Amino acid sequence: MQQSLTAQPAAAGAAAVRKPFGAQMLTPFLFLLPALFFYLIFLVYPMLWSLYVSLFQWDGLSDNMIFVGFGNYARILFEDEIARLALWNNVLWTVGTLVIPTGIGLALALALNRRFRGSVVFRTIFYSPAVLPLVAVGLIWSWMYNPHFGGVNIALKAMGLGWLARGWLSDYDTALAATFVTNVWSHAGFPMILYLAGLQAIPREYYEAAKLDGANAWQSFRHVTLPGLAETHVIVLSLSVIQSFKVFDIIYTMTYGGPGRVTQVLGTWMYFQTFQYYNAGYGAALAWVIAIIVLVIAIPYIRRMSRN
Amino acid sequence: MSSTALPASRRPAAAVPFIRRYGEDALLFVSLAILAVIWLSPFITILLSAVRSQADLFTRGIYSWPSEVLWRNFVEAWETGDFSIYFKNSLLLILVKVPLGILVASLAAYPLAKMRFALNMPIFLFFLIGLAVPIQVTLQPLLIMMQRIGLANSIWALVPPYVAFGLPFQIFVMRGFFRLIPGELIEAARLDGASELTIFRRIMMPLSLPALATLFIIDLLSTWNEFLIALVLINAKDSRTVPLGLLQFQGEFSTQYTLLMAGIVISILPVIAIFIFLQRYFVAGLTGGALKG
Repeated sequence: MQQSLTAQPAAAGAAAVRKPFGAQMLTPFLFLLPALFFYLIFLVYPMLWSLYVSLFQWDGLSDNMIFVGFGNYARILFEDEIARLALWNNVLWTVGTLVIPTGIGLALALALNRRFRGSVVFRTIFYSPAVLPLVAVGLIWSWMYNPHFGGVNIALKAMGLGWLARGWLSDYDTALAATFVTNVWSHAGFPMILYLAGLQAIPREYYEAAKLDGANAWQSFRHVTLPGLAETHVIVLSLSVIQSFKVFDIIYTMTYGGPGRVTQVLGTWMYFQTFQYYNAGYGAALAWVIAIIVLVIAIPYIRRMSRN
Repeated sequence: MSSTALPASRRPAAAVPFIRRYGEDALLFVSLAILAVIWLSPFITILLSAVRSQADLFTRGIYSWPSEVLWRNFVEAWETGDFSIYFKNSLLLILVKVPLGILVASLAAYPLAKMRFALNMPIFLFFLIGLAVPIQVTLQPLLIMMQRIGLANSIWALVPPYVAFGLPFQIFVMRGFFRLIPGELIEAARLDGASELTIFRRIMMPLSLPALATLFIIDLLSTWNEFLIALVLINAKDSRTVPLGLLQFQGEFSTQYTLLMAGIVISILPVIAIFIFLQRYFVAGLTGGALKG
């Protein structure tokens, strides 16, 4: 590598004369080679492999692969009720994420944008759950939801709402909402940080101009702040949706998809099908459904990132 | 609350805007404080649960000062939970994966930022798409690949996929940072006869230390926290990382609540410490990575 990179030194000026033509062309790729190696072999290739597998009925172990075309995909959409429930849960999760942690994050950013004593401490507190391993987050909240000792029921009783107390994670009606609250706790800090950066990028003069024009607080928020955050919205909303369709760790540790199967999401159902029930072909199809949804939603985000 | 007393005590002519201004601030501060307490309550809960005996927990509940503060719960959890194995594995993994991944990403980011060639933009986009690839879509093939090359069940099986999944974000950040380095510096070095590799080593990398530090911290945390790939590729106890070990510990001691909480505290202590002490770099990197192009 060293040799081919060290072309003749001298000759400045036009790039073309600096090096032999071949080396000139090759240099960028020599730098890219290690990254392409890892990326192609351990991300792209497995991805395509599972696309191929998704067209088969296969247990993931034997040599016995039966071609079923798009049969696995048809099964997801038309036959498997759990898959549809999982997809629906992902949709609910996504809508919830777009509204709640995003809203909290925006509100916190607006509140913390003005520097005052303690604002950094607040920012640290609200962001801190986001750095924890999600397995720990799930276990911490399983304890919070513990029917006998957990903080949630104790708090409800203390507020005179004891009749609401229940086994939040074992109750069919509340399990998904309970895991989602955990998600809010762990994910509100990220949009907050992004919105704070977005707010700081809005020039002060805009606010001063709005003030001179007699705008009140709401009007300057509506006509200066919100438009100024347009770019940030694209990032925050895309990342929220992407993250919502990939959700796995929290569900896996808190409910394992239960009680029954009410908290299954595509990510966990794919895992169960592939590694517990040995339906590797079907699991691959489920994984590709996640991939397609996420890749389509990520297009505006990726376009934004690639702009200079 | 206390602030309403303040303006009331000195109430000159300009009292109304004064009260309004400071009243609003006080209201904001109080709301933030309440929310902060809610946000901290899970931490407080596990801490209070971790430092008491199980009997104490049953009789006095979580939200009371323990009759005796049992620090030895942490020792016991560390030993019975075999956390030393998991910590060793996670640290080894970080030691290898994080520098390797960032080096590979930086190498790739250099030509993407500073060289003109036909496939520059397509290759950059190709890497960026990886930001949206769900891990699930690679799991089963990765498992088979690792079994075939005899790495399954070893922590080294995690290195290649972790590097691959880390690249899109890291290449994006490093490319953005490299672009800020003046082209004249590079041209001058070329005139002096420096090879591209020398320029990368002597100019690009040293000038990018802030970005490298940020990526290092972010990657350290996400490597410590990663769960799904490790769950699929690793079964053997000796190769478990901290999240896997913690889940295993939970499975074995699910009713020994106080011990379990001590285990959770142990497993999150390193990331909390890193975050609190290094958050300046960390936060800058997150926003820089997601927002600046």
